[in-house]
Amino acid sequence: MTQRLYGIMAEFRSPEALTDAVKATKRAGFTRLDAFSPFPLSDLAQELGVRTAVIPWIAFMAALVGAGLQYGSQYWMNAVDYPLNVGGRPLDSWPAFIPSTLIVAILWAGAATLIGLLLILRLPRLHHPVFEVHGFERASNDRFFLCILSDDPLFESAATRNFLEGLAPQIVREVPACA
Amino acid sequence: MGSEAQAVTSTVAEVPLSRRFGRIWWIALLASGALVLLLGYTLVSVTILGVGVWGVNIPFVWGFDLINYAWWIGIANGASLFAAILVLRRHDLRTAVNRFAEGVALFAVICAGIFPIFHLGRPWLFYWTFPYPATFEVWPQFRSTLTWDFWAISTHAIVTSLLWYVGLIPDLATLRDRARRKAVKRIYGVFALGWRGSVRDWAYHQRAYRLVAILVLPLILIMQSTVAFEFAVTLVPDWHETRQPLHFVATGLAQGLSIVLLVTVLLRWGLRLERYIDEGDIDLLGKLALASALVSGYLYLDEIVSALLADRSAQEATFNRMTGEYAGLYWTAIVYSILIPQLLWLKAARRSTIAGVFVGFSIGVGIWFDRYSIIVGGLQMDHLPSIWRTYSPTLAETGLFLGTVGLFAALLLLFVRFLPVISMFETRHDEHQEKSS
Repeated sequence: MTQRLYGIMAEFRSPEALTDAVKATKRAGFTRLDAFSPFPLSDLAQELGVRTAVIPWIAFMAALVGAGLQYGSQYWMNAVDYPLNVGGRPLDSWPAFIPSTLIVAILWAGAATLIGLLLILRLPRLHHPVFEVHGFERASNDRFFLCILSDDPLFESAATRNFLEGLAPQIVREVPACA
Repeated sequence: MGSEAQAVTSTVAEVPLSRRFGRIWWIALLASGALVLLLGYTLVSVTILGVGVWGVNIPFVWGFDLINYAWWIGIANGASLFAAILVLRRHDLRTAVNRFAEGVALFAVICAGIFPIFHLGRPWLFYWTFPYPATFEVWPQFRSTLTWDFWAISTHAIVTSLLWYVGLIPDLATLRDRARRKAVKRIYGVFALGWRGSVRDWAYHQRAYRLVAILVLPLILIMQSTVAFEFAVTLVPDWHETRQPLHFVATGLAQGLSIVLLVTVLLRWGLRLERYIDEGDIDLLGKLALASALVSGYLYLDEIVSALLADRSAQEATFNRMTGEYAGLYWTAIVYSILIPQLLWLKAARRSTIAGVFVGFSIGVGIWFDRYSIIVGGLQMDHLPSIWRTYSPTLAETGLFLGTVGLFAALLLLFVRFLPVISMFETRHDEHQEKSS
């Protein structure tokens, strides 16, 4: 019987071992891989080609939208739609409109960045094939995992397994795909 | 590596996962729960009977409600500012205290938010501050500092809670994976949103978290200044000064730091976290609290100098605050927020739990008296002598204040019970780096 696989996963004891394994895997030509760690590993993320430059852009664009919306609505409401004369001050009292414009820009930037983060990471996703792997719960504690995904062009269950065994992991396990 | 990381995770994670939590926690929770009931009672009474149950009257339209609002928001802003600076500087102290500095900020902003809403008199209409298409076809008056405050409080509450939660997700995943009981696993699992700890996810997570921490910095400065503007834009002689924002920002930071110090030493002692919050961390916090108290002291001096340079009515109003009917408030503020923190010059005091609790509490109390002195003492000598009266809080107001203290304590106790008070992943990261360097 052949079970459809999500990938094959190797477990390591230290971030250094994981980093070496990722380097070796990339040298071998694999492109579809994922690494799991109990804390952020920025060097390894670079190695895997993760580009996070979109985050500041999300914040910046959201801040512009928020600021524009807030300033625009203050101007439109207090100067155009319902002109409000307070002690003879100009209708478009821009200095008084600035504080809440800045605050709302920050609101938009902060909320968009953090909610955008969840969208990028495709969370919440309560179930995932990797959770089926025995021992994977230690990925949030003290173990490091490398997974070669089955949609990699070079993936071939037995050969890939042998390759991972060659990287001196603690153990290698298959990750069954979700039914 | 394996065993080290394991040790960190287990001590911190065992706290929320343990079945029993000791008697002191229960007693503290019951006591704060009783105060929360008192809060409910005072809120219901002010809603049904109206603000007449408070001691406020012309000219004291801002009594305990604004004093406590300004005080809580100062704690929230000070704690947030401190947390943001630690993240930005990538300071080691961040690992130890960031999580609950953000927690303190979040709980304080919740307490702060109660006051302006109930101060409206008809709290159920608070949404009138929001520009929605009302049937009257009028809009809020955006030149008013009070509308700025509406945006500031709601932004602070939304951004801080999101930041706090997003920072918690990886640690919730650790709790999910370590929980022994299925129900507990499920609950943490749902809140962990299925975090897998992929290196790619970590990279995005860290970038977004740091970026929003940077955003919090200007937010806090604008927000604390907005609180000060509420006083500065009025024509009340003692309030109408450009120095107010600086005074509020500086004393607010002192307040935030003092409460963080207080909570840190208590948690360190109560949860036996000496290994994660080491002597150096406590020492540094003590030094920061001392420095911020000195800055507050400088601003109190500045207040006197500004008064000397001001016109006569402003001068009289300010000096009346120091020598008149409410002089006690002013001098209590000086003693508690400036003089007592000088204890922290001693290394032994900075490292002692009792001294930490005492000084942290004392600065908090001192700034509370400063707010009282500004809001009530400052109003006493307005331009019009016919309205020179005095103000004292009624039971309904005192109960409301004690109630928010109870709410703050209860939220903090629940946080300590059910969530990791120290960022476990940051600690793992730090310990790993220490080991490899």
